[in-house]
This record gives sequence, structure tokens and C-alpha cells, in this order.
Amino acid sequence: MTGGAERRATRLLRWYPPAWRDRYGDEFTELLIAEFAERPRSWRRAGDVARGGLLARLTGAGLTGHDLEPSQQVKVGLATAVCSLAAFLVFGIAMWAQLTVGWEWAAPSATATRVGMVAMSAAALLLAVLVVLAVPPLAIAAVREIVQRRTRDLRGSLLLAAAGAVVLAVGSHHFQNAWPGTGGHSWAQQGLVPGGVAAFSWAATLSVSSYWAHPGALAAFPAAEVAWMAVSPLALIALVAGIARTMRRLDWSPRLLRYEAWLVGAAAAGTTVFLAGACCWVLAEGSRPGLFHAGAIDVVSLAVMVLALSVARRATGRARKSVQGAH
Amino acid sequence: MTDVAGAKDNTLGTFGRYAGPATLILSSLADGPKHGYALTKDVEAFAGVRLAPGTLYEALSRLEGQGLIEALDSEDRRRPYRLTAAGAAALRAHLNDQRRVADVGLRRLAAGWGAS
Repeated sequence: MTGGAERRATRLLRWYPPAWRDRYGDEFTELLIAEFAERPRSWRRAGDVARGGLLARLTGAGLTGHDLEPSQQVKVGLATAVCSLAAFLVFGIAMWAQLTVGWEWAAPSATATRVGMVAMSAAALLLAVLVVLAVPPLAIAAVREIVQRRTRDLRGSLLLAAAGAVVLAVGSHHFQNAWPGTGGHSWAQQGLVPGGVAAFSWAATLSVSSYWAHPGALAAFPAAEVAWMAVSPLALIALVAGIARTMRRLDWSPRLLRYEAWLVGAAAAGTTVFLAGACCWVLAEGSRPGLFHAGAIDVVSLAVMVLALSVARRATGRARKSVQGAH
Repeated sequence: MTDVAGAKDNTLGTFGRYAGPATLILSSLADGPKHGYALTKDVEAFAGVRLAPGTLYEALSRLEGQGLIEALDSEDRRRPYRLTAAGAAALRAHLNDQRRVADVGLRRLAAGWGAS
């Protein structure tokens, strides 16, 4: 009986994040075992534990604004914002790459689609610049801390991010030659963006595809391409998880904290412009047949982007609010 | 122990929907340290409210984070909590506020609806 109750309590405890389990896990398990002895089955209790666990996870991600020290709140808030913005970019860039394929063949007829695509491209450029500005100071601070304090956790996080980046860069470079836009032909420059950039973006986000819902069509793809569609999300997850873990574990200087908080805020603004551009396209030309038709995957992508942006804005807002009290 | 002065910014009003469970927990701890299950039983006995485990520990972690309660060392897995001086001050201020509201409500009820 006790063993069974312990196992049930351990299962329920999985709703909570590891840090919470480390702190409260033992006593919470004892409470649950006592509760089971009194009331063996209760859906209300199970629901309450699930809700509490999810809330603890949101708190750990800096989204509820409770229980965290200001400096910790800034770090986890920025890390959550980076994860959300990365999710936004994966779906957004997949959509943008698809549109640039269309523009390589023919310019869109609706002015709103042109405006939308220019806005998306400008926002993508801004975001690329922000990434270039954000990563080196963070990487330098992390390497310095590893050298000075020999922090093993930080080294692992940095290696994870680097491994993800290398796999993504090499794989995308390899598979970009299969791009349906130009395939590297000499007339590649007639579209909105350079063909090489569009092709690389297309290959990096190849996994965002409605073909997953059509296994028959997917089976006709070259095996290497299907393998890349399966591997590239893992590389993306490794890259983003490595960066987020580095951000959470790094001992930030106040100056770096303010600098990165400003950049993440600017990135959230840039993604808002990107989303507005995407909405322009879907509303103006998405329902028409042809090169700029919006499919089910684009509707799903838009929903994910709205959700990711709202999480990123909330996390960024809480982080920036805590910057003043952090040091 | 947390400084009493720290209680000024730690009033239970900032707990939002957890103000109710937080008040019940602090009231329970006012007569001595208790672990999670003992807290649940005590609150059920004096308030007629059964705090579900997730709700109880959400409130406990917030109260601990605010320095209104503190965990004590324990030889077994059931860790007891006790009220801090800041927690006592916050509870007193909150209950006084509630008493003022209750007094006004009862006075107005008596004037408009007669004594029960």
C-alpha cells in the first residue's frame, strides 16, 4: 500500500519543475501519501496538483512575477523570452522562406502582400543584427566565467548550443541546394532577398511542413531530406536550450544584464513588425490560389507566432521591470 | 528571523487569489510550527476549508519567499514551518483590516436589517 502510494505521489510530483521538486519534493510526497490514506481517489486533488505544478513551471520561467529574486527574475525572464522568440522565428522564417520562393518566380499582385513581405524581410534583418549584437558579449562572459571558475554546468550548456549551431549551419548549407526557388541559378537575384539567404532559411526550417500530415507524399521525398526534417528540429532545440541554460546559469554583470534586456526588448518589437507583415499577406492574398496561397501550416504557424510573441512580451516585460532591483 | 520592518511591503494584499489560503496558513502557524498535513487538518478544523495539496504548497512557497514563514529542520521528510516576526506583523495587519470591514458590514446590517 505504502509503496503504491509513494509511486502515485511520485507520478503526481512530475507536474512540478526539478528545482521545485528538489526543495519541496520530500515533504509534498509525505503530504500526498497522507492524503491518499484519507481519500484514496480525488479528481479535484489531482487537478489541483497539476495546476500547482504548471504554475510552478511558469514561475520558474519568470512568467508569474512571484517568488524570484530580481536578478534571477531577469535571467529566467530573458531566457524564456529567447526561447519564445526562437519558436516564433522558426515558424516565421519557414513562412517567410516559402514566400520568398514565390517571389523568385513572380512578384505578388496585391500591394498589401508586397508591403507585408518587405516588413517581414526588414524585421528579419533587424532580428539578425540583434542576434549578432547579443551573442558575442554573452559568449565572452560565459567563456570568461568557465576559465575563471571552471563551471562545468556552464561549459556543458555552451557546448550544447555550439553543437546545435554547427549541425544546423552545416545541414542547412548542404540541403539548401534542393531549394525549389532557384536551386542556385544565375537569376536568383530577381526576388526580394538574395537567393542564398532564402535557400538557407528554407533548409533550416524545412521541418515546419504540412507533409508530416501526409506520410504518403513524405515517403516520396529523398531519405536524406526526410532525415534532415527529423534532425534539424533537434539541432534547433539543442541550440536554443543551450543558450537558455547559459543565460540562466551565467553570473551576469549589471551592464550586460541591462544591455541584453534592451536587445531582447528590441527583438520583441521586431517580431511584432514581422507578425504584422505576415498578417498583411494572409489577409490580402492568402486565400487566393497561386504562389502566395496560405495553407493550413501557415494558419498554424500564425497561431504559434501569436502565442510565442505574447509569452515573449510578458517575460520581457517582467524581466525589464526587475532590472532596476537586480543590483 | 525576518525583520519586523520587512513586513510593511509583504502584506497579504499582494497575494491576490492566494490571500485566502495564506491567511489560513498564517493563522494556523500562529500557535506553533506545523508540517503540511497538520496544517491541512488544523485549517479544516478551525475554518471548515480543506486546502488541496497544490494550493497549500503554492501558498507556502510564496509565504516562504516573502519571508513570512520559515522552514525548520526535520529528522523525517515532513518539514515543519513556523511564523516569522514579519509574518506575524503581516497577519495582524491583514486581520485588523478584515475586522474593520466585518465591523462595518455587521453595523450596517444591524441598522438596515435588524439584529439576527
